[in-house]
Amino acid sequence: MGLSVQDRGRTVATFRHIHVEMMETLAQWTPSAPEMEVKLMLGEHIWDVAQNADALGKRTRELRLPLQHSIKPADPYAGLLADIRKEADTARRLGSFYDVLLPGLESRFRAYLDQTDELLDGPTVRILQQIQDVQSRMMKQSRKLRAELPELGKVDGEWLKALTRRESQIASVVA
Amino acid sequence: MPVLSPTETTVIRGITLRKEPAREGCFSVVKDNSKLSFNADPDYEKGKDMSEGNRRNRIHTHMHNEMQSIEIAAQCLVDFPDAPWELRMELARQCWDESRHSALLLRRLKEMGGHKGEFPVMHYEWYITGVQDSLAARLAIQNRTFEGGEMDILKVHAQMWRDEGDAVTAELLEGILSDEIHHVRFANIWLKRLAKDDPRVLLKVLTGISFMKWVSQVFAPAPEEVNSSGAKVTDTVHSSPTNVDDRRLAEFSDQEIAELLRQDGFGAIVPRPA
Repeated sequence: MGLSVQDRGRTVATFRHIHVEMMETLAQWTPSAPEMEVKLMLGEHIWDVAQNADALGKRTRELRLPLQHSIKPADPYAGLLADIRKEADTARRLGSFYDVLLPGLESRFRAYLDQTDELLDGPTVRILQQIQDVQSRMMKQSRKLRAELPELGKVDGEWLKALTRRESQIASVVA
Repeated sequence: MPVLSPTETTVIRGITLRKEPAREGCFSVVKDNSKLSFNADPDYEKGKDMSEGNRRNRIHTHMHNEMQSIEIAAQCLVDFPDAPWELRMELARQCWDESRHSALLLRRLKEMGGHKGEFPVMHYEWYITGVQDSLAARLAIQNRTFEGGEMDILKVHAQMWRDEGDAVTAELLEGILSDEIHHVRFANIWLKRLAKDDPRVLLKVLTGISFMKWVSQVFAPAPEEVNSSGAKVTDTVHSSPTNVDDRRLAEFSDQEIAELLRQDGFGAIVPRPA
């Protein structure tokens, strides 16, 4: 048996909250990152993430919740998002966002897609698949930028691994 | 929006403004028009020097201004999380548009043999807009006034580049102008909507515009002030007539356009409102 309407609504609204938070994080980093090329990439990704949040927010109404409804994620995940947002160093910002947060979300989307009925919940399935495509491009762009400007890729590998562990240890983003 | 802390502000010529966004070391950021380096070759019409160095300076300045516009729109998303979602979507889209503009101009600058940081830059728009504590005032200043003025300037500049035989840059500016129309339009639409919902918004807008005018006066160059290239600052700028067609597309009313034309000196031929 797939997920209930309520389960689906709560998950989609939580994903929306995460995307709005990610949009604000990228927006906050744009004036405070010194590197011009980083600002230009973040400017593009703010719009990408906003569109993802918007698509999820339109789906919430179809799942008996208000239009553009958000639900705050589980505390450990909200804490992770808040800590990443506070990062001040550009290399750590890029590492935490593009190497931890986005791949982690990708896994969570896959888990949701494995659980839900792809016919009954078709609209959510389509939205998540589209977001996966967008996020895959965003990660690729960040890798390309860091290959061009190697200083931006200089991040403590142990710190990044610990952050990845922290993310993966959060069983569910839904509160 | 929380009140800005002293660490987020800076004081220039006695005015409290928003502290500068971060810049790479290659950029020389100045706080005064006289520290900019535009030329004013007398062989050209006043303010329209298109000598090789000044061409790159124009592109460099425009590239930096577009980067500043990304930062201003992004900061609005951070400072006003409770703004209507549709308006936040417009600002998010603007971030991408301004990013593309800045990237296009950087590419063009490199094609012309230039590089980022080649000329001094200022954060004039960020200083004034970023210190406003209402989104309506920021839209009125940055989108409606500064970008509205940019629509007028871009039309003139596209022609200047075309006249100099550079159709590539002229087309680039035309493309940017087309995007800027929407940034001005959405500000006009939302200002009307916000003011209808809460008339106190108009007070915020008026306060913001008065502040902008005051700062402009304080920053205005003295009549004989000379910049770092030895050119008289007033000789490096030119006036741009109102771009009526694009202002109309950006949803300025006929009355507002007529007022702008009167300021341009066309008062005698502009019909008076009935």
